[in-house]
Amino acid sequence: MSTFLTATGLVLLAFFWQITLSGIQRKVTARIHRRVGSPWYQNFIDLFKTWSKSSISHGFIYDFGVLMALGGTIATLIFIPAGHIVVFDKLDNFFVITYLLAVGSLGMAMSAVGSGNPWASIGVMRALTQMLAYEIPYIMAVFAIIYANKTASIHAIALAQQGMGILGWNMFRMPLGVIVGFISLMGMLGKKPYDAPIAPAEIASGPLVEYGGKHLGMLMLQHEFATFVEVGLFVNLFLGGGTLLAFLIKYFIVYILATMIASVVARFKIDQLVVFYYKVPLALAFIQTAIVIFTGLG
Amino acid sequence: MVLVYSMVSFFNPYWMEKVIHPAAYNLFYLLSLGGTLGVFYSKDFLTLFIFWELVVWSSMFIIPLGKSRRATVVYYGISTIGSFAMLYALLLLNVKYGTFEISTVINKLSTDPKMATLFFFLIVMAGLTKLGIFPFYTWLPIAHGNAPHTFSPVLSGGLVKMGGFIAFLITAVLPTSKVFANHLQILNNPYENYILMILGAISIIIGTLMAIKQDDAKKLIAYSTVSNSGYILIGLAMVDQTAFAGGVMHVFNHAMASAAMFLAFAAIAYRTGTTKISELGGLIKRMPVTFTVYLIAIISLAGIPPMSGFASKWLIYQGLLRKGNMFIAFAAFFGSVGSFMYVFRPLAGAFLGQLSPKHKDIKEVPFWMQLPMLIISGLTILYGVYPGLMLKYIAKIQTSLNLPAIGVDGTKILTPNGMWDSWTVTLVFTIGFIIATILYFVLPKAKSVDLMDTYTSAEFIHNPDLYHYSSNYYAPFERLYKNHPSVEKFYDAIALRFKELGLLVKTWFFNENPAFTVFWISIVITAIFMWGDKI
Repeated sequence: MSTFLTATGLVLLAFFWQITLSGIQRKVTARIHRRVGSPWYQNFIDLFKTWSKSSISHGFIYDFGVLMALGGTIATLIFIPAGHIVVFDKLDNFFVITYLLAVGSLGMAMSAVGSGNPWASIGVMRALTQMLAYEIPYIMAVFAIIYANKTASIHAIALAQQGMGILGWNMFRMPLGVIVGFISLMGMLGKKPYDAPIAPAEIASGPLVEYGGKHLGMLMLQHEFATFVEVGLFVNLFLGGGTLLAFLIKYFIVYILATMIASVVARFKIDQLVVFYYKVPLALAFIQTAIVIFTGLG
Repeated sequence: MVLVYSMVSFFNPYWMEKVIHPAAYNLFYLLSLGGTLGVFYSKDFLTLFIFWELVVWSSMFIIPLGKSRRATVVYYGISTIGSFAMLYALLLLNVKYGTFEISTVINKLSTDPKMATLFFFLIVMAGLTKLGIFPFYTWLPIAHGNAPHTFSPVLSGGLVKMGGFIAFLITAVLPTSKVFANHLQILNNPYENYILMILGAISIIIGTLMAIKQDDAKKLIAYSTVSNSGYILIGLAMVDQTAFAGGVMHVFNHAMASAAMFLAFAAIAYRTGTTKISELGGLIKRMPVTFTVYLIAIISLAGIPPMSGFASKWLIYQGLLRKGNMFIAFAAFFGSVGSFMYVFRPLAGAFLGQLSPKHKDIKEVPFWMQLPMLIISGLTILYGVYPGLMLKYIAKIQTSLNLPAIGVDGTKILTPNGMWDSWTVTLVFTIGFIIATILYFVLPKAKSVDLMDTYTSAEFIHNPDLYHYSSNYYAPFERLYKNHPSVEKFYDAIALRFKELGLLVKTWFFNENPAFTVFWISIVITAIFMWGDKI
């Protein structure tokens, strides 16, 4: 029962925290662009508004994919340790989380292509290609961390870093790894240089082109939860997690930093993006992993 | 393996009419089944070799019943390399030790590392050719793509796994980690095993990149088999607690997944007559059962929980992590993420999207064709949620091979790096799904519209075929490795040289022109004359 309550608490925390931050993110972007911007609670309004509107359905898989996307992402979220809140200790394996997140992506991709709109197919194609680009450097950087800690449990890795003060964070022990991790995080979040899959002006928002009403609202929610998973993973792996408060502060800094970078750069084409990820971050990740494995540093 | 055969045989009655020589097909089908069984139960190497050749021969005659005769030539040519290497190794052993008995041979080899190395590479060659590991992978796409639709699942699910058995025999039954213990160690692996792992890693990358490019679904699945054989080989070559268990488990998982995928496309081909992704589309409305089967198969193949494919891949990752084999791990991760790309292409192109008007009236396949597909999918889910059922046997195998056995506790798999509890994950996933469903039904109901009723940038559309994005799916990505080097070209070059040599011999010795005959006669007479009394 306590597991159930913690899980509910975690989902609610993610809901309020991440949607608030999304609002703040819009505000930050606006200020960088010298605009006024929407209020911080705008995303709550958007979410509930879409849920109350009428919507269309393109058939069974179009609905089912949305459910699979949201359900899979909620399931993934429950495995993320946030500060003290650890729902399943020892089960929060890195690979489990990475691949569970893929359930959500698969659901969304299926639903989008099931709408029959070619823009959606192109967007999904780009998203999958981008996934191949950012996922490999990221996993290689995390490979070094798991090898050094001899465990793949996210919570255990976070705890191991807290013992040695601020210099014990993987951010300082593996400086190349954290660069790779951050660049890959930007790709995961679909932030600006890496937002080819949804590119609104190019392919009409890609996978999201057909959605409206409650479908769109549920996918927005799915996106917020996925963001919580991705940023939470980064904070736990590289910045040492910490207490709930420390976790949220670190989360805030990472997320706003990513937003600020995203608001001043232009978009990569999808093939440029693959080449970039395989040139710079992958090389850095290999160097970092080789240092950890062959010299034992870090 | 037997399971795959028996499942596929449900399909056969429907295909019989389309095959040219039904009787021959049946005979060879049963022969290859018998041969495969024989390989797994044989006690000495000679029996093993005979059954092995039986399978090669019978399948050699089945493949040309499909589309192309050249496929057989390639298949047989590459199989021959492996068979001859194996035969040579066996005869060598017999000369040296005077026996074919597997257990005796293994015992004697254990004390003779030099001989063991030679034997290792010769026998493993046979395994590699069957598994379709680089550089012998070229026969897979050609043979799988051209074989009769019902035989492709058998090729991929049964015959290819025979190679896995040989690799298992040679890496684990011959205890490589002990025999080669004094040899050069690369990242805690003897170099012999590491060479196998490198070959496996190359196969994963090549298989993935080539599969992403394919438009023919059967070729795509064939290349994915190349990539997954790489996982099996890596797992088996590690010979440790976790990755080895993963490798053995992956043999079964991949057999299930690829057989289901091939059967799904056999079903599609049965109704539409094509396996080209770009000619299909929107079939989910007409063939929902086939779609479900395909979906479950790809989730397992891509290694997404809670299907069985995840457990085996996860075990292989754990093993790689434990030993710090970073370059092999890179290939493994690349293949895994890349597999999302290539399994999604048929899903999007053939099942989702716009339904082509020419497929408007097709129906779902008959029940007896659905049944085997459903059984395979059921097994995939069962072993995904309860991997312990299979790992229990693998643990027994490991104990009998003096390896530390994989830790299994009900639905939990315990490894030194952490554990995996498929039941909890499945449960959490179900709860998440239920929350989403409740939310969906609480919110206002959606209006159902047609697939053609979409956002079209305010243009009028009228042709569903043109409005379906399926050809050249990954064009921007494919462009990046358009000019890749390829072994096929190298093999073609060798084949060309061979042909030229044959032509040369033909022109000199078997020419129709009498002048050549006269020339040779005079040469021989001259030679005899010159030799003269010395003979």
